[in-house]
Amino acid sequence: MPGVNRRIPAGLVSAVVVLLIWQVVGSVGPLAGDSFATASEAIVALIGLFADSQFWVAVFETLQMAVIGFALSMVIAVPLGLLIGLSRFTYRSTKFTFDFFKVIPPIVLIPIAILVIGPSIAMGIALAVFANVFAVAIQTAYGIRDTDPTLLETMRCYRMNAFQQIRYARLPSAAAQIAVATRLAATASLIVAVVAGLVGGAPGLGRLAALYQSAGTADRTYAVVLTLGILGLVTSRLIVRLQRRAVFWSGR
Amino acid sequence: MRRIGRWLLAVLIGGWLPVLLITWWWNASADSTDPFFPPLHAIWEQFQYNWIWQFWGIHVMPTLQNLIVGFLIAVVIAIPLGVVVGSSRTTATYVEPVVDFIRSIPPVALVPIFILLLGLDSSMRIASITFAASFPILLNTIEGVRATNVVLLDTAMVFRLTRNQILWRVRLPNAMPTVFAGLQVGFQIAFIVAIASEILGSGFGLGAFTLIATDSFMILDAWTGVMLLGILGYVLNLVFDVVERISLRWYFGQRKLV
Repeated sequence: MPGVNRRIPAGLVSAVVVLLIWQVVGSVGPLAGDSFATASEAIVALIGLFADSQFWVAVFETLQMAVIGFALSMVIAVPLGLLIGLSRFTYRSTKFTFDFFKVIPPIVLIPIAILVIGPSIAMGIALAVFANVFAVAIQTAYGIRDTDPTLLETMRCYRMNAFQQIRYARLPSAAAQIAVATRLAATASLIVAVVAGLVGGAPGLGRLAALYQSAGTADRTYAVVLTLGILGLVTSRLIVRLQRRAVFWSGR
Repeated sequence: MRRIGRWLLAVLIGGWLPVLLITWWWNASADSTDPFFPPLHAIWEQFQYNWIWQFWGIHVMPTLQNLIVGFLIAVVIAIPLGVVVGSSRTTATYVEPVVDFIRSIPPVALVPIFILLLGLDSSMRIASITFAASFPILLNTIEGVRATNVVLLDTAMVFRLTRNQILWRVRLPNAMPTVFAGLQVGFQIAFIVAIASEILGSGFGLGAFTLIATDSFMILDAWTGVMLLGILGYVLNLVFDVVERISLRWYFGQRKLV
């Protein structure tokens, strides 16, 4: 418990120090001016945004794209990965193709997505699905393939059928891998939802940041970026906590 | 001979799906009149024309140059900083929450801040790339240096290694795999931010070229841009993997033994 008690003040202390440095750097020296907002200006702007319904609509739209995109990618990718992972042939045939798409950042597709789908919520969702589907499927397939062979042989000796083997051996063993992929996918979905707005003109916080930047209002731009940091942090913490509960046996 | 046979089999098994997909796309789109999905052979012709003859020097080189310069600056700043912070438990406890927060911001969202600060030229692009790529590298270096095996440290102490020797011979080599993971994430982020900084800060570069093509409904050019960006994303990642494999050969060897 002392570790916990000491950790919270440490974060608080360093946050205060950083805010102070930020304030000083923004008030005196070469950075002072309209193009740079100080910590206090950014925080005041953030509080101002809280009273603005446009801001909350943007938060909602971003979360909507992230959550639907995340859920869709899971619903598609986990069963797909399961199917692929069941046979050595399908696993090895799809590995290269999936790896190829996995490392292509979704931002690359934005120009085409703008043409085909248009700058909308649907575009953000589609990009989030593209960002996650390949990685999660491959990770799931890997977990399924990685099941302890002795365990499978034992089950076969007991004449458990294929479904039972999947249900009681393969899926639980893949759960750890799926959990890792889930965590990455959740943060990636949020990032993609923001990027879709910022770069592709889809609605949400990304577009709001772009609008404030082109209007030259530094304080509001910073306020949106701060909001994004908070959202990102909360998402990753939440996922870690949920995971500990969901896959308690994997020890991760 | 047997090794070649096995290699060939692996290529066949890994390769049939992409070949099938490309063939399908090629044939299915051959007579396409849909303005958004032009025939693949037309895209391919435009691709060769654009990237071999026309725009390689004007649009691709600046992108790669900013990417590499920005990333290298990030490496030079973040690794030493990470080593310093990670060597002391107290500093690490204070620095980590802040780094963790900044890393939670989607990297592309930092670009507007740098546009406000530095305008639209390449200093803005490099600064955004450097800033965004630094944090994963910094965080992983701190983590890697801090998480040195206690038994190893005790052993080093028993052998009366000096602080410097412990740093260079024990802590740093041990941190290498974690640092490399950070470098890889940092590089992927650098690539994304490089593209985003071009799209947001209009002008030259591959990202800007592709988005301008989209906005002016030059669909073929947009497709070639997307394709080249995708291929670049893949190839750069591959290069990174190879470098990692070579520099961390001892580590992978060690893991195989275990």
